[in-house]
Amino acid sequence: MWDDEMQERVNQRITYLSRLFLVILLVLTLRFWYLSILRGDWYKQKSEQNRVRVLSLAPIRGSIYDRDNQVLAEDIPHFRLIFEKGVAETEEIEERVERILGRELSPPFPERGVGEIILADQLSLEEVIKIEEVQNKLPGVMVESYPVRHYPGGEPFAHVVGYVGKINAEELKLLHSEGYEMEDRIGKTGVELEYESFLRGEKGYRRIEVNALGKVVRVLDYRHPCFKNSIVLTLDQELQKYSYELLGNRNGAIIVGDPYTGELFALVSKPSFNPQLLSRGMSTEEWNALSQNQNRPLTNRPLQALYPPGSLFKLVIATGAVEEGLTDRNRKIFCPGFLDYNEWRYPCWRRGGHGSVGIEKAIAQSCNVTFYTLGLELGADRIVNWARKLGVGQPSGIDLPGEKTAFLPTQEWKERQLKEMWYPGDTINLSIGQGYLLVTPLEMYRVVSNIATRGEVYKPHVVKEILNSKGEVIKKINPVLQNKIELKDETWDTLVRGMEEVVNSGTGWACRGLPVKLAAKTGTAQNPQGEDHSWFAGFFPSSHPQVSFLVLIEHGGDGSGEAAQVAKKLVEWWEKERKVKSEK
Amino acid sequence: MKSKAIVLILIALSLTGILAVYSVDPSRGEGWGESLFSRQIIWNFAGWLVFLVFSQIDYHQWIKRGWLWYFLMVLSLGAVLILGEGDETGSHRWLFSQSVQPSEGAKIALALFLAHYFSGQRENFDFWPLLIKSGILSFIPFMLILKEPDLGSSLVLLVTWLGVLFVCGFSAKKWAVIGGIGGGLLPLSWFFLEDYQKDRLLSFINPEKDPLGSGYHILQSQIAIGAGGFTGQGWLSGTQSQLYFLPARHTDFIFASWCEQLGFLGGMLIIGLLGALSYLFLVVAARSPDLEGKILASILGISLLFQWTVNIGVNLGIMPVTGIALPFVSYGGSSLIVNLASAGIVYNISKSEGWENWKL
Ligand SMILES: [Zn+2]
Repeated sequence: MWDDEMQERVNQRITYLSRLFLVILLVLTLRFWYLSILRGDWYKQKSEQNRVRVLSLAPIRGSIYDRDNQVLAEDIPHFRLIFEKGVAETEEIEERVERILGRELSPPFPERGVGEIILADQLSLEEVIKIEEVQNKLPGVMVESYPVRHYPGGEPFAHVVGYVGKINAEELKLLHSEGYEMEDRIGKTGVELEYESFLRGEKGYRRIEVNALGKVVRVLDYRHPCFKNSIVLTLDQELQKYSYELLGNRNGAIIVGDPYTGELFALVSKPSFNPQLLSRGMSTEEWNALSQNQNRPLTNRPLQALYPPGSLFKLVIATGAVEEGLTDRNRKIFCPGFLDYNEWRYPCWRRGGHGSVGIEKAIAQSCNVTFYTLGLELGADRIVNWARKLGVGQPSGIDLPGEKTAFLPTQEWKERQLKEMWYPGDTINLSIGQGYLLVTPLEMYRVVSNIATRGEVYKPHVVKEILNSKGEVIKKINPVLQNKIELKDETWDTLVRGMEEVVNSGTGWACRGLPVKLAAKTGTAQNPQGEDHSWFAGFFPSSHPQVSFLVLIEHGGDGSGEAAQVAKKLVEWWEKERKVKSEK
Repeated sequence: MKSKAIVLILIALSLTGILAVYSVDPSRGEGWGESLFSRQIIWNFAGWLVFLVFSQIDYHQWIKRGWLWYFLMVLSLGAVLILGEGDETGSHRWLFSQSVQPSEGAKIALALFLAHYFSGQRENFDFWPLLIKSGILSFIPFMLILKEPDLGSSLVLLVTWLGVLFVCGFSAKKWAVIGGIGGGLLPLSWFFLEDYQKDRLLSFINPEKDPLGSGYHILQSQIAIGAGGFTGQGWLSGTQSQLYFLPARHTDFIFASWCEQLGFLGGMLIIGLLGALSYLFLVVAARSPDLEGKILASILGISLLFQWTVNIGVNLGIMPVTGIALPFVSYGGSSLIVNLASAGIVYNISKSEGWENWKL
């Protein structure tokens, strides 16, 4: 009886248990349903991500050519030997490869991608063929090609063409959305940087199935990396090289171009650097040595270095003075060899004086006294305005990175920054391109080019065409007329005649005897670093200008000397090598 | 009827287990005896032999010798701790060059002992002394297994003891006290857990936090089950298990491997078979003519139910990883043989059922 009661109680408990069991069953089933039916697609995606790895293959960068399609930068395939770990014993494979190549490999081997190591790098073509002949004896081994940037143009082109390097953390952060990844190459400066989006090319990839151990199960699909666009520069390879040589062991800049289109034929900065070494990647010491070199080889001088323009700036004063009617062909100013102003004496460069000179002769002779006088009459503000009007102090918009602009001193600036008043002496210094004034060579090149075109301001550029992968032109860089400087004919005539006289009878005597009529201006810029900088800039033929040029030699002394001699050789070379071509 | 149903379900589960092990066996192409699934087949034969023997022996014979099993159990568990051999996970669970896992045997031994112990003093049901004495006696093997460490098996022993208290009608008040003490001890037990066990518990709470570390198992198993969808990715073709993303895919996570291949439908087949078997164990308990049979069948049922629901719960990501295998299906000899032995005992109880007064 008592036992029955007990059994009843146990049975009741078993009944409770079976109810609990039903609840547990329901919970499990619902959860199961949720995972496999409701979230099934999401988990399928997850499992896909688990097993598929995408190995991206470096894109092939577009080439850079000079205007005659000579190669200045290109990707060349290098070969390396990849071994997929786990397919065979690494030591065994290493031994076999050493026997085939006939040279020692150097472990430890660097890892690459998922479970792959680089057995050997920089294989020669012969070695690649040797390996491929016995491929079946080397399981898991494959020859992989990867692009390496070459710069056949070398140092003379380094600043314009630029170089590439491994993307850094900052760039990556900025460009991640455009598909850049770690280890990618990217243009660091020059055209390589400015036209990165065209040159970059398209990545290839290898989609592989891997297991949880990272071992490759099979290749799912493959796409070759390819290049998209090449770039043709306006630079003339031979002229660029010749200009570079002409500078010898001097530091300086040379700019040669077409004033009517803005095309630049030569853009030289010296000293230069080897872009090959930079693209390969430098050690910290090498990089420091280069970037801290006192001669600043990394600076692209034509657009990134600031110099006092010296007498070259007299063209700006002359423009302002004639246009504003302060002087004309009839007004003569007497130069006794100096100008006395407020108890200070400002010398002309010719001690004995130029006597009574008109504006054209003043340009030709670069008479300081004339320009002191005209400068004082104009006043500092109007001088600065005229400089701006002619293209100094404004970015030219050239298609190269890092362009700088002139420093044009004003009364307001001096009072604010130096806490000093603006003295007439400051205006006098400004009139001959000295004092606080600093300009880039490109700006002064623009001034002479604008005189050559009689006021048509073209945007300077170094890229002529962009090609697609088949070599067809997809974009032509047309001349961009940025501005038209409206001046009286008399002003232009006066400037051109004055500049012609520079060569005929004035300070540009070094350029006499050329087969073409030149219009130019010398400049000698005193500077605190040492001997004067030597400038020479102009255009030819003076009656219908086709080429404008600028030569700057740091510490080259008197502008009528070294810079003019270099310019003479450039013009001679042009007349001999390019005149026929350009007349066609 | 019910006895036949038990046999049919067991046959279905055995076959399912062999197929499941085959489907994730990395060495299935290799020779007989080398591959995992061929070993699973051999163990099945051994298991069925054991089943036949146990089903023919009157269950009273087992229960009568409760203390013998108890001492054998404590002795062998002690031996494991002293002489035990480690396995790849670093825990010591094996005896006789990794052929016998005493913690598996303990699951059935404790059930037999408790059935004997409780049925022998039915007048003390729902009294504190029985609760405390049985608690201490169960605690000894529990701690020995926890020390190996084998959290899963020790939890099965704990549940077996709780099961016998429940079935023997211990009142709600005492359950509250046990619950209170248990709840109080739980934070303390944290200090006795091995680091990897703590990791498992923490990663259960937030598996995404460390998807490649401890949370890996949980996440990968859910991915496998989810990716299987309704009908699965096909026999032998799920990438989670075939490419080894799923750990322990032939043991603790065999359910997930199975579902990746055969989907919700395939998974429900296993749940259905194990559910039906556990249910039958309870039915046999309810209809058993004597208290011994009732207690033994029901705590074996509770133990089975606990093992498979926890295992599948882990696979589905709703329970922390405890290291409990899926009965009859997971790869492994000791557990398969012990499970078939339990089934044999229940089968024998079912033969002496008093079917007439069944109502549940
Ligand atoms: Zn003078």
